[in-house]
Amino acid sequence: MDIFLQQLLNALSLGGTYALLALGLAVVFSIIGLINFAHGELMTVTGYAICFALIWGLPFPLAVMAGLAVAVVAALLMERIAFRPVRGASGTTLLLTSFAVSAILRVLFQNLISARPIPVSIPASLSGVLTIGPLHLGMIQLISIIVTLVMLLGLNLFLHRTMAGRAMRAAAEDFAVLRLMGLRANSVVATAFAISGLLAGVAGLLWVAQRGSVDPLMGALPVLKAFIAAIIGGLGSLSGAVAGGFLLGFIEVILQAYLPESLLPYRDAFAILLVIAVLLFRPQGLLARKTPVKL
Amino acid sequence: MPDEPLLSIEGLTVSYGAVEAVRGIDLTVKRGEVVTLLGANGAGKSSTLNALVGLAPRKARRMLFEGADIAGQATETIVRRGMTLVPEGRRVFSSLTVEENLMLGGARHAARGDPAAVKADMLERFPILAERLHQKAGSLSGGEQQMLAIARALMSSPDLLLLDEPSLGLAPQVVDRIFDLIRNLRDRGLTILLVEQNVAQSLEIADRGYVLANGRIELQGAAADLRASPEIQDAYLGA
Amino acid sequence: MKKNKLLLLSGAFAALASAPAMAEDLVIGLATAQTGGLAPYDQPNLAGLQMRIEEINAAGGIAGKFPIQTIIKDTRSDSAQTALVAQELVDAGAQLIITPCDADPSIAAGMITQGAGIPAISFCATTPTLPLAVGDYMFSNYPADNVQAAMLAAHAVESGYKTAYILTSPDSAYTLKLPQYFGQAFTAKGGALAGEGTYSMGQQDFGAEVTKIAAMDPRPDVIMTSAYEPDFPAFVRQLRGAGVTTPILGSDGIDSPTTFGLGDLVEGVVFSTAGHATAGSPLEAFNARWTERTGAAPDTIYIANGYDLGTIIEAAVTAADSLDPAAIRDGIANLEGLQGVTGAITFKGTIGMPLRAVSLVRIKAGERELVAQGQPDPADIPAP
Repeated sequence: MDIFLQQLLNALSLGGTYALLALGLAVVFSIIGLINFAHGELMTVTGYAICFALIWGLPFPLAVMAGLAVAVVAALLMERIAFRPVRGASGTTLLLTSFAVSAILRVLFQNLISARPIPVSIPASLSGVLTIGPLHLGMIQLISIIVTLVMLLGLNLFLHRTMAGRAMRAAAEDFAVLRLMGLRANSVVATAFAISGLLAGVAGLLWVAQRGSVDPLMGALPVLKAFIAAIIGGLGSLSGAVAGGFLLGFIEVILQAYLPESLLPYRDAFAILLVIAVLLFRPQGLLARKTPVKL
Repeated sequence: MPDEPLLSIEGLTVSYGAVEAVRGIDLTVKRGEVVTLLGANGAGKSSTLNALVGLAPRKARRMLFEGADIAGQATETIVRRGMTLVPEGRRVFSSLTVEENLMLGGARHAARGDPAAVKADMLERFPILAERLHQKAGSLSGGEQQMLAIARALMSSPDLLLLDEPSLGLAPQVVDRIFDLIRNLRDRGLTILLVEQNVAQSLEIADRGYVLANGRIELQGAAADLRASPEIQDAYLGA
Repeated sequence: MKKNKLLLLSGAFAALASAPAMAEDLVIGLATAQTGGLAPYDQPNLAGLQMRIEEINAAGGIAGKFPIQTIIKDTRSDSAQTALVAQELVDAGAQLIITPCDADPSIAAGMITQGAGIPAISFCATTPTLPLAVGDYMFSNYPADNVQAAMLAAHAVESGYKTAYILTSPDSAYTLKLPQYFGQAFTAKGGALAGEGTYSMGQQDFGAEVTKIAAMDPRPDVIMTSAYEPDFPAFVRQLRGAGVTTPILGSDGIDSPTTFGLGDLVEGVVFSTAGHATAGSPLEAFNARWTERTGAAPDTIYIANGYDLGTIIEAAVTAADSLDPAAIRDGIANLEGLQGVTGAITFKGTIGMPLRAVSLVRIKAGERELVAQGQPDPADIPAP
């Protein structure tokens, strides 16, 4: 029982990170129908920013702030430079554009920064352990869970209590009509990218804290997981993305914990099989949006 | 400039790829008028309205609203100038509450009046919305949604209101209420450009009308003249 | 703007492929990764090799008569692209091909070079079956997985460990086979395997695996893994986070600044690596020269490893006294006791995986402490 509880905590921590990532994809997709595969590179940018801020001598909390700020700015630049010119184009065009952005950024990181991982010195206090009865919870795991909850709560408040948040929810439903309210399309899209940048920054911070280094290809795997989670949840649905993230984390941890050892190498295959099973019963995802995206 | 029309359009063309939905029409709306656009399905009525607010690809020799050129302007800029559209099919934000729909309607218009006062006025005029203030817009009936869509557009205190098929798909007694509402707006001096399939009622409400066919204007004139014209009688009024 | 950047980049790569070869130039074709997942390994090796080539050319070429020309083409860490590039290099007249730091693309390139009768050397592929998969024109330039595993197993037995847990990932030959070779060597010497766990590379989540290890009763005496960045730091953080203090053995993949930046988490970890700069050693001298040349201390042994590859090529061509690819191949295959900056290198008597010194290093207060250095007893090396 203790072990099961411990695994549940593990699932909560992993699923939370996936949820943040999937949410970042979903926020942008819900507004302009773009699956931003360069979302992972926003995590990488955050990592490098934190790394260089630390090397530059900033204390850790300030370096984290700088990292998050850089992620938001990078997301806004991405939108302005790469995605605005193709806004309203077909889904395929948008997708390919995001692949291109991702590939260009990776090559730039490899050739202008370093192909090798650069260490990020995470304060020793983040390596601590919290012991609650029989349960062990690493500081970073604990922070992951707390930060995820804070972000989800904060985003929820933003979406329901501010005009910009209401505009985003309205834009996800019907962008054209939102413009009839006199609200600028560009600022709504920019807000979506800023939020997705912040979510990527937070996820990037948690990711880097676990690994202690940044490398140019760091964002590749997380964005894939986020994509799967967003698909499970129903692309474009924000609550679906969160549910999908937690479900994916749960599936992965439980399989790792309870698959017989001889089958463990196929864990990811089983996880994907379960995802397919979910989609067979709910082809639109768990919490699909009702209306198609239109501009 | 009392004689200057509020809206003055010359040679408006709307094309979607190779398909020309509107082929070079001229249109004017004077301040305080109710003008109606009539025509069969696919005649180009909705395309015209969408083009006016920049939601359809458009070309024109001249597009003046309140004396300013709006030809190349974005939807949001045109709306901020004081022309707004209640689109066909109502298109309320169904997952947002009634109140949030109204708030978004007034979000960018503090400069045009006190949003709180406009909202209070709106709730007084639409008591049903006041009752449903915290309900999701998607849970309203069709007629209530149409009320909300109009109220949401009025939140921006527009100078010119474009209405696209406000009575479409509504029960007869609800249609009457919608026309009562439009009449009420007219009596308060609001300028309206109305697209309707309900020809009899809209000619009754309007000062002037245009009849569109295949993207061109076939007939135009005072509402009373149109109502009496044999073409209208044959085609729409079934007399 | 985007286009301009791309053009600039491709221009930079094109500029690396230098002027046409002279009649007596040795043409080395580099089918290695500038971008993608192998770039972190290929790039430092290339940098070290280029330093050695500059030195050789400054001295008038190999044996004073064979200056070296290089043609460098990016493989983008893709096996198919590596084969394509290898073909282009063969067509361009290369007499020797260098392949990436991994067995898969090296095999893909080897299929071309073997057929063309041109020797190929991988920068640092460690899979001992690589030459078996390709043929007698395929070599690698790094201690093989089974050699590292044997050194680690000998150390484990000497340390008195009776039971070991191995953590593998089926995602690469290195992360799967090295711990398994370790398991074979360890049990052959009387140890017992307490279990084998697996992980997915890049996943960074070891919560479930660590919970299983923490629940083992009795706990294993030692945990051996070839996990490297980003998996190793995440694993050790989560393992220690779960209160498991079992000693850890690792392999050369974790010889990186990140590992040493983990502080107390990695205190006492022992890992195998291709070189250790003891006082007065050639490696120490090389590190100093590199620092002088670039202004930064080398952050990985792969730089010295690439430098040694230049020395291997020099020795092989000198022995062949010709630029004939077959003669160069024989020159490489017969090298014995060649002194590189990382230690002695021998190809004679092997199938193409060199006998090279392996160092075992313990992390102590963020510094390296040499535990053992040398080559394992050939009888202890598990068969590939």
